[in-house]
Amino acid sequence: MNTEIVFLFLQQGIASGLVTGSVYALLALALVIVFRTTDVANFAEGEFYMAAAYLAFFLIALVGLPIWAAAPAMVVGIAVAAGLFQRVVLRRVAAARGVSVNLVIATLGLSYVLKGFVRATGFGDTPRSFPSVVPDGSVTLGQASLSYLDLAILGAALAVMAAFFAVFNLTRTGRAMRAVGMNRRAAQLVGINLGRTERLVWIFAGGISAVAAILIAPKLLMTAEMGGVVTLAFAAAIVGGFASLPGAVVGGFIIGIAENLVGLFVSTRAINVAPFVIIMLVLIFKPQGLFGGRLRVRKV
Amino acid sequence: MDDLLALDAVTMRFGGLTAVNGLSMGVTRGTIHALIGPNGAGKSTVFNCVSRIYRPTEGRIRFDGRDVTGLPAHAMAGLGIARTFQNLELFNELTVLENVMLGAYSRHETRLIERLWPRSPKTRAWAEEILEGTGLKDCRDAKANGLDFGRQKLLEVARALALSPTLLLLDEPAAGLRSREIERLDTILTGLNRERGITVLLVEHVMQLVMSISDRITVLSFGEKIAEGTPEAVRGDPRVIEAYLGTKQPGEAAHGEAAHG
Amino acid sequence: MSVRVLAAVAVLLIGLSLALPALATGYVVYIGNLLLVFVVLSLGLHIVIGEAGQFSLAHAAFYGIGIYTAALSSKVLGLPFLAALLAGGLLAALCGLAIGILSLRMRDIYLALSTFAFGEAMQWVFLNWTPVTGGPNGLAIPPAQVLGQPILSDKAAFPIVAGVTLVVVALVAGLHASGLGRAFRAVRESEVAAAAVGIDVRRTKLLAFTLSAFLAGAAGGLFTTFSTFIHPDSLGFQTTILVLTMIVVGGVGSVTGALGGAIVFGLVSELLRQVPSYQEMIYGGILILVMMYAPRGVFTLVGRR
Repeated sequence: MNTEIVFLFLQQGIASGLVTGSVYALLALALVIVFRTTDVANFAEGEFYMAAAYLAFFLIALVGLPIWAAAPAMVVGIAVAAGLFQRVVLRRVAAARGVSVNLVIATLGLSYVLKGFVRATGFGDTPRSFPSVVPDGSVTLGQASLSYLDLAILGAALAVMAAFFAVFNLTRTGRAMRAVGMNRRAAQLVGINLGRTERLVWIFAGGISAVAAILIAPKLLMTAEMGGVVTLAFAAAIVGGFASLPGAVVGGFIIGIAENLVGLFVSTRAINVAPFVIIMLVLIFKPQGLFGGRLRVRKV
Repeated sequence: MDDLLALDAVTMRFGGLTAVNGLSMGVTRGTIHALIGPNGAGKSTVFNCVSRIYRPTEGRIRFDGRDVTGLPAHAMAGLGIARTFQNLELFNELTVLENVMLGAYSRHETRLIERLWPRSPKTRAWAEEILEGTGLKDCRDAKANGLDFGRQKLLEVARALALSPTLLLLDEPAAGLRSREIERLDTILTGLNRERGITVLLVEHVMQLVMSISDRITVLSFGEKIAEGTPEAVRGDPRVIEAYLGTKQPGEAAHGEAAHG
Repeated sequence: MSVRVLAAVAVLLIGLSLALPALATGYVVYIGNLLLVFVVLSLGLHIVIGEAGQFSLAHAAFYGIGIYTAALSSKVLGLPFLAALLAGGLLAALCGLAIGILSLRMRDIYLALSTFAFGEAMQWVFLNWTPVTGGPNGLAIPPAQVLGQPILSDKAAFPIVAGVTLVVVALVAGLHASGLGRAFRAVRESEVAAAAVGIDVRRTKLLAFTLSAFLAGAAGGLFTTFSTFIHPDSLGFQTTILVLTMIVVGGVGSVTGALGGAIVFGLVSELLRQVPSYQEMIYGGILILVMMYAPRGVFTLVGRR
């Protein structure tokens, strides 16, 4: 491989990596806000995303909604469903035996229910493509080429992240979420409603996953297995330290770029082992992640 | 003086907050030593430094002449330091007996074969003896989270005793107890100290207990030592009274806390 | 698990070993063998989740490592059955140890995440390392050698599978009753209190996780005694979820529960083979409902623990 091709691959890999990375960043963000506030690793995150893509597809193809109506309806639908899951299932699980293993098992259960449901509709097994609203065409940056769709994905993802960070840092609700993440007991003492805050966090997580789905769906073939991408989101979150929101975003971009470079330089088939290799490398060399900082100490 | 436990200029900072600032103190072998002070004075932090849940930002901790500052938390039990927790850290889903047997893990169940063998007659007999002594015998097969609050507090003490400690760290053992239960605790602690020579360091707000059993008292305020001495000396110390002013008088605190249970 | 239950299990397994090959059809004996492998798998997962309260999601991968190692060491090295089974268990344990050392340094949840990713990666390796695993074509498993004799049928394998299972049940029940078992549960209940009584929390978790991986690998070795073929498709996350469902249904933390769950749910999953698209929904629904209404297992709903 001569230097010219290496240079070309590098440029293209980074450019495409920023695009897919922006979607991983959104998914990792959804994972991390849930983990920070509720101490639960949401194994149904990938299936939120998968269910969102299918919900949009059903609304467009079966109900006949135009995409500008279907997209927001779907985002709201998934966000509400995530909130309901917290309200109906997780609250009950925590009350029945409030250990985190049980909560994680419940999310695993949800991921299988959603996957099975989509498969049972009969649309899950054959890959489907999703209509795009962005016109065809592409721009060239340096030697890398990005389609209009790519640019739209990156732009929209960045806008959603900016909006989320604004809510999280500037509003009362965002402050409540951060406070619960830092110290539940203290948050409760200053009058924060724990149940409501946790529910909002799940609603946000659902909404963000849904946005990620609608952005990337036109680029992918949809299958019931597409939620498997969550492994990459987990890796992204671990790169970022698993408790840091900026870490999740940066981790998402790093994973996106790494994935594209592995695809170009090694083999697209090697991508399946990439998340594991990346997680292990982080654990060996930078176990607290890039943004992890100090571990939280539990007060006893 | 023969100090079993010695803190040498221990400082603990959390981010920008200094919870304990340059604290030096010694706990004399064979005594009951109390650590008191208003809320947020850093008493529990001192405990967590000694039992190695926190690593002090600065300073040294010596136990029995040996520097233990760098040891991991689980090594302290093997040296003979047992502790209880302010907010109850029981093995909730395990039985009372199992909780106490676990207390003996590092001192009475040390050989590999003893830990792997499905029956533990020695540990069991020892745990039964502790249960007898603390009056928990009749609920030994109940799950820890099924006990009433007073008994849970007592179980914390029983589990710590099962370790056969040289030094017993008690973090607010009387908080939330009724006055009859406090009297019982008083008897148990004094007995342990006199008969088995166990050195006790306790953090406590219930002044009735502190004043009655302590040989020596250290008073903390905002992470610093403001007074140290016998109960009588500390009680009359103007700095101590001042530290408590604005919150509660030491005497009132006793009634306030004791009335909770 | 009480001594009495253990004795009943022993009597049952010995009785079945004598009677089943003579009375039942080959298919029934095959299902019997498979259920016993599931018993070993679920007891393995029970140690890490039920006893130590840690999450491992790579059980299918360790199982697969055990199957391929046992099959290949029998095929290439000519190892007898027991040595092949131990080789499978040891290699799985070694992989578990390596992952555990790295993951258990950090937050609890890192073990779940890295084992999840490891499971995905291993399935890919099984599928693509064609010279060794046969890749997508699967691998033919040679007959196991017991005392120099090849085991050629499910019926011949059953007494051996039952014997190994009995040993594993007894060991896990013994572990549960031992001081080490108590230490596992202490870590599950409160890490600070466990450290305060002198338990090295990280090492204890690592030990539980490695033991669990060993049993999963050994279950793989056991599988090779009666099965003639393995394909990577049966070594995916679905299998981990199946075993997880077994211990959850039986009651997380109870040895008897893990055993009962494996038998009951092993049969259910065999029936569900008829309706693959509903399988996932049923597993998922069971996990959610049990966590909501019977976190100590469905057997406790009937009354007895």
